[in-house]
Amino acid sequence: MSARRLGALLAAVLVVGGGVAIGLYVALFLEASPPPVQAAVIGRRVAALELQTVAEVGHGENSFWVSYYARTPGHKWVHSTILRVPAYSLVHVTVYQYDSATGLRNPLWGQPRGVVGGVMYVNGKPVKVLNPELASHTFAIPELGVSVPLPGVDEEAPNQCSNAPCTLAEAHNTITFTFRTRGPGKYRWQCFVPCAAGFIFGFGGPMQSIGYMDGELEVQSS
Amino acid sequence: MSAAAIPAAGPVREPWWRGLGRFNVFTGIVLGIGGYLIGALVIGHVLSKGIPAQTETNQNDIEFVCGILLGIVGFLVGMGFLNYPIARLTGAAPTLREKEEKGIARYFTLCTDHKVVGIQYLWGVLFFFLVAGLNAMLIRTQLLYPTEHFWSADNYITLVGLHGTMMMMMTTSMVLGPFGNYFVPVMVGAKRMAFPRIEALSFWLLPVAGVVLLAAVGAKGFPTGWTGYANLSVQAKLGMDCYLISFALIGISMALVGFNMLVTVYTMRAPGMTWTRLPIFVWSVIATAFLQLLAAPVLIAGMSLVLLDRVVGTTFFMPFSGGSPFLYENLFWFFGHPEVYILALPGFGLVLEILPVFSRKPLWGYRLAVAGLMGVALLSFFVWQHHLFVSGINPDLRPFFMFTTELISIPTALVFLNAMGTLFRGKIRFSVPMLFALALFFNFFIGGASGVFLSDAPSDVSTHGSFFVMAHFHYTIMGGLVFAFFGGLFYWFPKMFGVHLNEKLGKLQFWLFFIFFNLTFFPLFAVGMLGQPRRVSAYSPSLQWLNDWVTAAAYMIGLSFAVFVVNVVYSCFFERRRPEANPWHSKGIEWQLPTPIPVDNFERVPVINASPYEYGTPEAPLVANLNPSHAEVVAAGG
Repeated sequence: MSARRLGALLAAVLVVGGGVAIGLYVALFLEASPPPVQAAVIGRRVAALELQTVAEVGHGENSFWVSYYARTPGHKWVHSTILRVPAYSLVHVTVYQYDSATGLRNPLWGQPRGVVGGVMYVNGKPVKVLNPELASHTFAIPELGVSVPLPGVDEEAPNQCSNAPCTLAEAHNTITFTFRTRGPGKYRWQCFVPCAAGFIFGFGGPMQSIGYMDGELEVQSS
Repeated sequence: MSAAAIPAAGPVREPWWRGLGRFNVFTGIVLGIGGYLIGALVIGHVLSKGIPAQTETNQNDIEFVCGILLGIVGFLVGMGFLNYPIARLTGAAPTLREKEEKGIARYFTLCTDHKVVGIQYLWGVLFFFLVAGLNAMLIRTQLLYPTEHFWSADNYITLVGLHGTMMMMMTTSMVLGPFGNYFVPVMVGAKRMAFPRIEALSFWLLPVAGVVLLAAVGAKGFPTGWTGYANLSVQAKLGMDCYLISFALIGISMALVGFNMLVTVYTMRAPGMTWTRLPIFVWSVIATAFLQLLAAPVLIAGMSLVLLDRVVGTTFFMPFSGGSPFLYENLFWFFGHPEVYILALPGFGLVLEILPVFSRKPLWGYRLAVAGLMGVALLSFFVWQHHLFVSGINPDLRPFFMFTTELISIPTALVFLNAMGTLFRGKIRFSVPMLFALALFFNFFIGGASGVFLSDAPSDVSTHGSFFVMAHFHYTIMGGLVFAFFGGLFYWFPKMFGVHLNEKLGKLQFWLFFIFFNLTFFPLFAVGMLGQPRRVSAYSPSLQWLNDWVTAAAYMIGLSFAVFVVNVVYSCFFERRRPEANPWHSKGIEWQLPTPIPVDNFERVPVINASPYEYGTPEAPLVANLNPSHAEVVAAGG
């Protein structure tokens, strides 16, 4: 085989083989994203989201990880933290909190911020500042200035949830609040309490994983 | 029947597939896979029985690590690394039979010809360099948007870790591997390396380490970046084991290379090759070899201790059980900072080798250059704690490490002085190797100047862990070593392969690389000063335009490497321009030898007559007498 033919063959192998190899390599890092969950539209520029936090997912590869769940307008609980809401709207959020308290490391986070009226409702009662020792998680969207502490359930409470998604029959707190969205775009949200049990100082694992304690708020033009 | 009708009885070529049964990379892979299976499914399974932390979680580190370790042993046995020791134990005579292999097959076997090992290193290092470069492209792709991402946070940090670790692992061999192995024995007038099989082993550990590291992708990655800090490493997933084992393997390889280079230069110099006649590149190899020999064992220890924490249940780095993560930080950086100079010093030596050739002047301040290289090597062991300024170390230690770190700029500056003195009033030719060599000084100056801010504890507090640091070390390592590597490659390619790389494509690659390298990394100083942290893919939307600029420029660096690949294929297979015997008119001893260099380099041990930098002196003798008489050998001290 002449050098030119060998060169042409090598070039072809490099282009095709290299392209395929690069494609396969890139594919290794791709992961299926959790499905987006649409907020229920309940009025003009008003939407509603229902979430729950669980101490352990209870099944699957990361069965012991703490996690959020979201509820679709069809009332089905989905293991996802990708939430779709309309732009320039009020979003009423209801969080069913099934995890017990771990406490806030920064007591300033005990105050709900970035929410309408500066108030959240815990089991129907208005709360302007939460005792930091009672908090279990936070729901925070830094770009919108939203940070809401979520009180945990009593560790001694009967009928604790052990397998997600949890039901209203199991021990929980219900927290409601409302925040306002801005223009279309993607906004990161997450829990800011280092709550990853089994990880040193509670960091890592679910804290940095979308679908668990980290999520995206997809704000769409209505 | 006429004689013409009878086909001549030439050598009988055996079918190619018979070669697969001999000791080579194919048998190595087969035994490696077998070793992994036995290690994981039998030995690891038995050892982990009754340990709930391993068996009752979906992460059995004992099985995994046993599998990898036995797989490595299997691969090396399959490559034939045990053949010679066993033969010698059974009374066989010493031999370097592996040196006699011919053809392309020798590049896939244990070969004891240092030139083959050099070329093995070259392609091995380039392969992993391109993979790590691809990781860099994926990282920059993620950073196109502040919140919208292509990869998950776990996969992103794994990409960052793979990129950093692979670059730091492979680039330690980037100059020393290909050019050190190929040219050091030639440059000192030796017929081989002191320990040819150890030389082969040091190379074959490199692809093994690379493959083990890449296996981390399939083992759920690792979240630590290239530094592998405890506690993160102790609680990470199986991919962490891949990081630890592969980095330890590279440490072993580095220590072996250093040991081999030192013994070769010390004991195998030709008669007349005095210390003051040693090419400056060889001096840089000596300085680097010292660093490798002294620093790499600390890395091996650090990696091994983390592995024990993860697999056996020790608590060297677990603070809740009396261990200390600070211990790991010190172990790592006691290796990690000298490693920066393991990367930089051969690059300095290489460009100082190139400058006199292309400015037709002797190397200015030869002894000063040697002092600079050795001074950097020595001081590099006294600066490591500047990486720990914000880790909670005793504040009283900071002034000392500030001082030593800033002190190291003095021997580094000597190398710059050598370059300027050599260039001054020289007849400069801006050929491709020279362009790369000159660019190193521009880049390293920016890298060095920005390093002052990091060596200074007060300013380090605000820049630590930011993209400022990232820009700084890319200016020193990529702007230094990688530019030197390409300079060396263009310079020595005609000698190594008998083909001249295309000059126009080379210049296109250089300018693309140089311009977009600076357009990529200079803005990252600003990004860092504005507060963007390393290793985190979410960042402030106000920094998006800067990040997008950097990503676009980084893609262009990728394009410059594509031009290099095109150049190699075009020059080797299409243009095939045979170079002159000495295309750069260098006085280096390697250019006195025929191309390709014979298996034993020299028919007779040469006698060295002069320094290789006698440019501008018409009456200067040739560097080496390749066919000396006995009397000349004796007169030269042989």
